[in-house]
Amino acid sequence: MAELSAAEVHAQAAAIGLLLEGEDLAEVAHRLNAFVEALAGLATLDLAAAEPWPTAPPDPR
Amino acid sequence: MSDELAFRSAADLARLIRAGEVSPVEVVQAYLSRIDRFDGALRAYVTVCRERALDEARAAEAARGRGGQLGPLHGVPFAVKDQFDTAGVRTTSGSRLHALRTPAHDATVVARLRAAGGILLGKLNLTEFALGGTLTYPFGQPRNPWDPTRETGGSSSGSGIAAAAALAAATLGEDTGGSVRSPASWCGAVGLRPTWGLVPRSGCIPVAWSMDAPGPLTRSVEDAALLLSIIAGPDGRDPWIRPAASDPRGDLERGARGLSVGVVHELVAGADTEPEVGAAVRGAAETLRGLGAAVADVSLPLVPRAGAVFMALADSEAAAWHHPTLATRGDEYDAGTRRRLIAAALLPTTLAQQAGRARAAIRAEVLDALERFNVLLAPTAPTAAPPIAGARAPIRSRGEAARRFFNRRSYTTPASLAGVPALSLPCGFTASGLPIGLQLIGRRFDEATLLRAARAYERATDCGGRRPPLHG
Repeated sequence: MAELSAAEVHAQAAAIGLLLEGEDLAEVAHRLNAFVEALAGLATLDLAAAEPWPTAPPDPR
Repeated sequence: MSDELAFRSAADLARLIRAGEVSPVEVVQAYLSRIDRFDGALRAYVTVCRERALDEARAAEAARGRGGQLGPLHGVPFAVKDQFDTAGVRTTSGSRLHALRTPAHDATVVARLRAAGGILLGKLNLTEFALGGTLTYPFGQPRNPWDPTRETGGSSSGSGIAAAAALAAATLGEDTGGSVRSPASWCGAVGLRPTWGLVPRSGCIPVAWSMDAPGPLTRSVEDAALLLSIIAGPDGRDPWIRPAASDPRGDLERGARGLSVGVVHELVAGADTEPEVGAAVRGAAETLRGLGAAVADVSLPLVPRAGAVFMALADSEAAAWHHPTLATRGDEYDAGTRRRLIAAALLPTTLAQQAGRARAAIRAEVLDALERFNVLLAPTAPTAAPPIAGARAPIRSRGEAARRFFNRRSYTTPASLAGVPALSLPCGFTASGLPIGLQLIGRRFDEATLLRAARAYERATDCGGRRPPLHG
């Protein structure tokens, strides 16, 4: 998967009111690209039955 | 003599105080003396409540003299992570942003320890806002009592130091993705993450609402059970809290015979697990087998993905809480915290939802294994405490970011994602003398069995008996 550039990350941050420059920008870009790569990899899993609830459903027994 | 007193367990101290064999004043002074000698280097404490603790100790001594009902922690000095509100005592969350914040009320867990007779000795250092990855600590760099050039683990850094180095009788931390277990492992203490939904979060600055769990760090399993018995249960403020299914101390001395123990293959034999860590956990499994437990390997194939899934979810929740402050006072955060929060704030929603679905799958895998085993066994961390300098190196690629932030977290976050209890206790030392943590993962709301297994192991070994080589 293509990495997001520093300019693209800067623009995303600006869109939600966050200032991002210098070393912060470079590191945030690496962190965000690491997230995107790791989470895109979840597509290989069978998550058809998985609903994204934060806690386990009540035990029916 | 005072050092011997300081290393006694909280349960022992409570018994000695109750019997009139030692006074609460003597006990508080023993810890203050150790704080004076060692904390300049270790930086466990953000705030020491010296005069208040001595006043309360004198009052506790007088109360014992009058007779009557005494709480289970009567006269015992404890300290809490500076993430928990304390009435009249500043609560910094390890951040310059909260350096002057003084709450009006105690967090529920603090109020309960005080109501049990405990004496608040002080507030303990942590990574900024309990997030991990702090580069510059505003209240001093926490240092490992076994080797001051090494990390303590976080985010409950000071709680781990103070428990291991006997700078308090017992401490409290908060565990979102391993923040109690990691410092327990690297500092050589016992750390318990309770079932999510057992201990109220009221008055605790949140990291991630869906996984935050306050829990004790202590020098013994018995003390972890004692503190849990005091802090657990509904408080009428945190709507998610259920009563404990049983007294967590109820099965403490029943031994390991009859328990089934699953050794998590992917974590014991993982590529990131150092050989001496894996060997120590295998050795612990054999010890439990020798005590009568049925031990077998179990495979949890999704677990290596847990670190990335956890960070996507926990950091997104944290970014939502911090966003207004990030947008207006971003430069007042530590650079490591700020970068972590902004990266999570920019995560595409679709991927965050996929992480939520992966959480459900990992949870199902862990709960399924816990249908077959009473307890799962794994290393708490893949290595012993690494050098502090390594955590400060700049990140130069996405691969480096993944290795540094995701991989290690895959050891502690499966329990967090599943909402089940987990405990770390010492199971050996590296050749260079650093503690190794054994992680036990239990069934939801069955802390009694988790603590029973841990106590059986603790009683059979002397790993928890070693003291850090402090000089002062």
